[in-house]
Amino acid sequence: MFCKVINHDQQNLDSYLTLKREIQLARKIQRKLLNGEKPILINSQVSGFSIPASMIGGDYFDFYPLSDGKVRIIIGDVMGKGIPAAMLMILTRGAFRSAAEVTEGPGETLTSMNKAIFKDLRTLSSFVTVFCADWDPNTGSLVYANAGHYMPVLVRGNTETFELPDLKGVMLGGLPDQVYQEKEIRLLEGDTLFFYTDGIVEAQNCHGEMFQIERLHETLMQNAHKTASELETIVIDTLTNFTEGLPQKDDITMVILKVGTGKDQQR
Amino acid sequence: MFTYEIIQEESKSIVKINGDLDIDVTEIMQDEITPALMERQDIEFDFSNVPFVDSSGIGLLMTLINELREAGSQVTITKVSQEVMYVFSLLQLPEILGREIFVDLKRDFEPVSDTN
Repeated sequence: MFCKVINHDQQNLDSYLTLKREIQLARKIQRKLLNGEKPILINSQVSGFSIPASMIGGDYFDFYPLSDGKVRIIIGDVMGKGIPAAMLMILTRGAFRSAAEVTEGPGETLTSMNKAIFKDLRTLSSFVTVFCADWDPNTGSLVYANAGHYMPVLVRGNTETFELPDLKGVMLGGLPDQVYQEKEIRLLEGDTLFFYTDGIVEAQNCHGEMFQIERLHETLMQNAHKTASELETIVIDTLTNFTEGLPQKDDITMVILKVGTGKDQQR
Repeated sequence: MFTYEIIQEESKSIVKINGDLDIDVTEIMQDEITPALMERQDIEFDFSNVPFVDSSGIGLLMTLINELREAGSQVTITKVSQEVMYVFSLLQLPEILGREIFVDLKRDFEPVSDTN
């Protein structure tokens, strides 16, 4: 009997260690995919950063180099968190990479992505919100499309913050055969564009208060002159101070695009 | 702390939801609320005490409503706060589930433009 108990405990321990090892490997894979090669940009910086709430997460960002020095940027949030969300994040990444190669603009990319993964997402009762934009550093043009995601915040001249002109679109997996519209805005030298997921504005402190968009605007405005990587650290530090070490409830992801002042600013 | 209460008023079942609708509600939603409502024809979800929803909560809500509709129930959602309705609108939930499900929508909110 004693022997059987030991064997049973040993089996549990083995299963636990196997599971732990596999999750750590999955985390490593996800981190590598998220922290892939950053695009070489003329006169601008682009950077992304993600912290999962669990070992692995469902948030996603990516950069896809286009012709003429342009880059397609995407940020997304898969419903839920942890392993299930991470699996769907990989599905979303594959759909983006395939679509980015053959589509003309961000609207067409989202249309193609929804077409590719709609049935899978419906079968799994899930969905993904994404915001996608084409940045042209030569002209300052940013063309964007949205599938149910928060609009990025633009900081202009260290004095003004506003969200990009609103553009609605159904989240991926919401409805079939969606056609996503595009809008265009001209960015200026010194502008900082901050893409984010809801884990930032919905981070809570021990009093149940959320960080909210107003605190994000304030943080960005006060620190817009910093580099993209410095700004990432400042946002995370500000969130950590706000939540006073309370466990992170949702994945946190940001992408920062900074329009430079004449020199190549590749990170 | 998430709680719910089902009140029967003649043929209508009113489900009063209290608390945040997020991933922590998954088990209650799937194991308790869904089976409890399966045989009911006319169901109203009262959202007056729901201060916050996140994407996981919306996913749970969509799944619940789709399952109830497939089982033949008629479902409505009432008394949604402006903060929660902002998130619903951002994800275009009225377009996905049908605007008729949100009985307060016309009174409190401007129509959301179509993407097509």
